[in-house]
Amino acid sequence: MNKTVLAAIIVVIAMLGFTYVAVEMAGGVDKLMKDGDWVNMLAILGAVILVIVTSFVVTKYVRQMQSDTATGKLADENWDGIGEYKNELPFGWAVIFLGSIVWAMWYFLAGYPVNAYSQIGEYNADVAVHDAKFEAEHKSMDAETLKEMGGSVFIVQCAPCHGLQADGIDGKAANLTHRLDEKSVKHVINNGGNNFKTDYPGGMPPMLLQDPAQIDAVAKYVASGFKADDVAGKAAFTAGTCNTCHGENGEGMPSVAPKINGWEATMVATVLKDGKKGAIGAMPAFNNLTEVQVKALGAYVTDLSK
Amino acid sequence: MFHWLEKNPFFFAVAVFVVIAFAGLIEILPNFAQASQPVVGTKPYSTLELAGRHVYIKNSCNACHSQLIRPFKSETDRYGHYSLSGEYAYDRPFLWGSKRTGPDLMRVGNYRTTDWHENHMKDPVAVVPGSIMPAYGWMFKNTADIDTAYAEQLTVMNVFAVPYNAEIPMADGSKATVALADTVEGARASALEEAKVIAADMKDQDVKDKIAAGEIPEIVAIIAYLNSLK
Repeated sequence: MNKTVLAAIIVVIAMLGFTYVAVEMAGGVDKLMKDGDWVNMLAILGAVILVIVTSFVVTKYVRQMQSDTATGKLADENWDGIGEYKNELPFGWAVIFLGSIVWAMWYFLAGYPVNAYSQIGEYNADVAVHDAKFEAEHKSMDAETLKEMGGSVFIVQCAPCHGLQADGIDGKAANLTHRLDEKSVKHVINNGGNNFKTDYPGGMPPMLLQDPAQIDAVAKYVASGFKADDVAGKAAFTAGTCNTCHGENGEGMPSVAPKINGWEATMVATVLKDGKKGAIGAMPAFNNLTEVQVKALGAYVTDLSK
Repeated sequence: MFHWLEKNPFFFAVAVFVVIAFAGLIEILPNFAQASQPVVGTKPYSTLELAGRHVYIKNSCNACHSQLIRPFKSETDRYGHYSLSGEYAYDRPFLWGSKRTGPDLMRVGNYRTTDWHENHMKDPVAVVPGSIMPAYGWMFKNTADIDTAYAEQLTVMNVFAVPYNAEIPMADGSKATVALADTVEGARASALEEAKVIAADMKDQDVKDKIAAGEIPEIVAIIAYLNSLK
């Protein structure tokens, strides 16, 4: 008997022996059968097959190496005495080679240029998917949802200056829970105003009132919400011809003068579009917001001053 | 014919390097040169803005604030359009930052104003509840270094051909010019003019007094810089 085969048989017996001992230590095949432990049964079967097949294959190739002789025709070229056989290409290898040439042509002409990855492309696709979903979800929003959306936009975009409570953080920005405070009214009377350029292109001239007492009275009257019992305030309001444009109770007049007894959605939209500069400071334009977001903010802010 | 190369591994290595380097040269360089051109609407910094940039660097603002908006929906919703490489054409060095302890500042000029920055630098918690940013009170006291900013402007204009005193195309089709004075006195004067406009929107009396006396506090310079980030 060949020495290699003998060694293989010894290795197989030894390995199967180890397997047997391992299985016995785990309780034996009977216990596995009784437990219905098919996973470990299969593992044992696999181990046995693995040992036998591996030994067989290794033995076969070792014996081939021992007895094989070279056949075929040597190429003319040799490198430092090492030659190369002129063997035919293996068929499968040749097919893969030709196939990869065809694939490379496709990839070069169509595959890469058409499907190439781009970070911006992924971003654009992301945004398109989001916008489509958003559109579908909010096609018909009721007033409550719109206000809720306005609230979330407010937290992200507006709260840094106007505060989470929309109170303007101690006069650092406009107090949105209230249309106008005395300081702002005085500022507009003294300096004129043209804050809502898009909707009220005319603006308001300064110095319609010049008497400080009257200015104070109007400021108080407007800031405290047009109280009917504030006779002096109402008189000053009329004296300054404020009522001719802003209306008796500050309800405003389309394209002439804005509402001054509360916020309205169109006013919010125009401030977001053009920005604003007044008694407190400047507000930049927020043109990055979508139409729906502007509408939502309009609903939210209008609701704040109610 | 290739025996020669195979028998001379050193020259073979050089030849391989040359071939690959050439491919890199014609594929990477033109693209890179194209992308680093200033984007239409990108202007070089004025003297005061550049002095503010120095204040920004001096106080390591970039340790907590990035200036790089990545192309993700969540970022562009919050900060605006994603950053383009050409927008950093006049940043030397760029201030991308590597960590956002605070928010990104790439386009802060679009959504914050002079008075907000003033309130915020003085007492961050007063405007942003829960903020962990420290107050930068000394910026209201220290004087901005206009001379160094002017020296940098002169240098980049002469060495890197930064277009000061030249027409720059803007996004809306108009042309803008960033003026650079001929002398350091002229630069100080123009920076002061710019500072006056910003101080007019501020409330701090000390700052106003200093500007009136011809001195520019650091806070005015850094606000000018932050307002220019768009």
